Amino acid sequence: MAQTSLDKKFDQIRKREEEKTFSVKKRSRIVSKFLNNRLAVVGLIIFTIIILASLFAPLLSPYDPMRVDLRSMRQAPSFDHWFGTDSTGRDVFTRVLFGGRVSIFIGLGSAILSAVVGIAVGCYAGYKGGWIDVIALRVSEIFMSFPQIILVLLLVSITGQSLFNLMAIFILTGWGGMYRLARARMLSLREEEYVQALRSFGLSTFTICYKHMLPNALSPIMVNITLSTAMFILTEAGLSFLGLGVPLNIPTWGNILNVAQDILVLQNYWWMWGPVGIVISVFVLCVNFIGDGLRDSTDPSQQG
Amino acid sequence: MTTYIAQRLFIFFPMLFVISFLVYSGLELSPGDAVSHMISPELASTITAEQLDAMREAYGLNQSFITRYWIWLTSMVQGDMGYSMAGGVAISTIMAKTVPATLELSLVALFFSTILGCSLGVISALKRGSGTDNSLTVAGMAGVSIPEFFFGLVAILLFAIELKWLPVGGRLMPHYETVWDRIPNIVLPSLVLALMMTAGAMRYARSSMLDVLAREFITTARSKGMPEWRVNILHGFRVALTPVVVLIGFRLPLLIGGSTIIEQVYQWPGIGSMFIRSVRGSDYPLVMTISLMYVFVVLTASLVIDVLTALIDPRVRLGKN
Repeated sequence: MAQTSLDKKFDQIRKREEEKTFSVKKRSRIVSKFLNNRLAVVGLIIFTIIILASLFAPLLSPYDPMRVDLRSMRQAPSFDHWFGTDSTGRDVFTRVLFGGRVSIFIGLGSAILSAVVGIAVGCYAGYKGGWIDVIALRVSEIFMSFPQIILVLLLVSITGQSLFNLMAIFILTGWGGMYRLARARMLSLREEEYVQALRSFGLSTFTICYKHMLPNALSPIMVNITLSTAMFILTEAGLSFLGLGVPLNIPTWGNILNVAQDILVLQNYWWMWGPVGIVISVFVLCVNFIGDGLRDSTDPSQQG
Repeated sequence: MTTYIAQRLFIFFPMLFVISFLVYSGLELSPGDAVSHMISPELASTITAEQLDAMREAYGLNQSFITRYWIWLTSMVQGDMGYSMAGGVAISTIMAKTVPATLELSLVALFFSTILGCSLGVISALKRGSGTDNSLTVAGMAGVSIPEFFFGLVAILLFAIELKWLPVGGRLMPHYETVWDRIPNIVLPSLVLALMMTAGAMRYARSSMLDVLAREFITTARSKGMPEWRVNILHGFRVALTPVVVLIGFRLPLLIGGSTIIEQVYQWPGIGSMFIRSVRGSDYPLVMTISLMYVFVVLTASLVIDVLTALIDPRVRLGKN
């Protein structure tokens, strides 16, 4: 019998099986697809470096981010002060590192917490339907009728400025999107056969929607968490730049940039605002690359 | 079609009503009331509690919350927006001054970003997978990652301070009042705003164009021997552009958010910088009115989009019934 191309393929597979080359390759398809995306990998590396640098800030810099040193104010970048010093002699590089802690914490923390709230409501409401769903949908519509920054500013003016308030406001404005995403996934999963099977076994609603259905909805949610981390970091920077975000005594990326509102600083002391602006842009760009890579590698419609 | 519009309106008005109530309650939660803002710090020590109460009564602040809300709402509907706490200027006067400035800036930015975004998106789609496409995609990512105010600051430093081509900020210079005199002022803020918004339009135009190019009528047009540019422009582009028009409406919240910060950076005397000033100064009546106006604009825009989409695509309105 003539050997067809299928036979050849099969022989190859058998040969590889005998050589045990299959067991070496343990990476899942999602991971290897992500690793093949060059931008996402570069993003992940820089993202990790910036996070580690902020975490280990005290080891990387001998200066105190808050200590005022009037003898060395407004110095241009040098070997002692990599990003120079600001108008009160504080080391800008140290402040960028410590500011990263707060900014990333706010961005990532708000994104994860708003996802938790959105998923908790969205899963249950999407699966159960009924009045709970109608109410949650209407409430999320109310929040989404505001342009995001306007709602945030309105809430800031009502609650006043603090780190805690800002995160609460971010969660309040961010859960709606997550809720809608989780809900939409649940609506389509609800009709799947395995869900009907679980229901006929008599499992409780909570077990079905949080334990069995939620894992199948996680990948778009993960992508959304990454992208909203980027958005929250940008919003925090914008608000603090306006002087309406985190109180000025806490160093955040936005608060460091705040000095650039002064035209004299803008004109003469570029190091006080330039490097930190670049750090924000690079960090957010990396987060967006990671998010895009995650979307491409987890989206089943793109798998081939 | 009439039933569809009626359905949308049936959601629109209650929504506006509920939001106005929530915003008014938020105002109630904020510290102090109108009277405490009217009294200067020097007077505060000499004034007695009875006098304060008398003032509250005179201004109707002792009435119940619901009554006050109703009075506020009815006068709002009639066009009386109340007064700002800073200087006691009528809010309608402030609006009349600031809204045209914001409209001017936003429309110019919308115009440039739509043209730029659509053409770059279409180029990207036509050269799918090429170096041009990839670098445009990365540039688009950078566009959504750089904070708009930082981009604005760099532009000021470069074009206004170093090169001295354009003014640093503001809308009108004193004694320069013709249209031509005003153009240099609008160039920087509108271009910065436009560039920041181009990324979204580009991404949308690209995927919409790719969608259309995969359709059968494109293959048909090609098989007739039509030159490639005619296929792309006359057949592809025209069809792909219809949803992009809808996109202009969807980008409205983004435009509002972007213009708010850009106006502040460039000292543009629009509604955005006024909003920020009122938040800073705890000028609650003004904060409330401006945010409600934004909600009204966004809700109206989404209503118009819904109706337009239903007009273009009959499946939308039939699916709802």
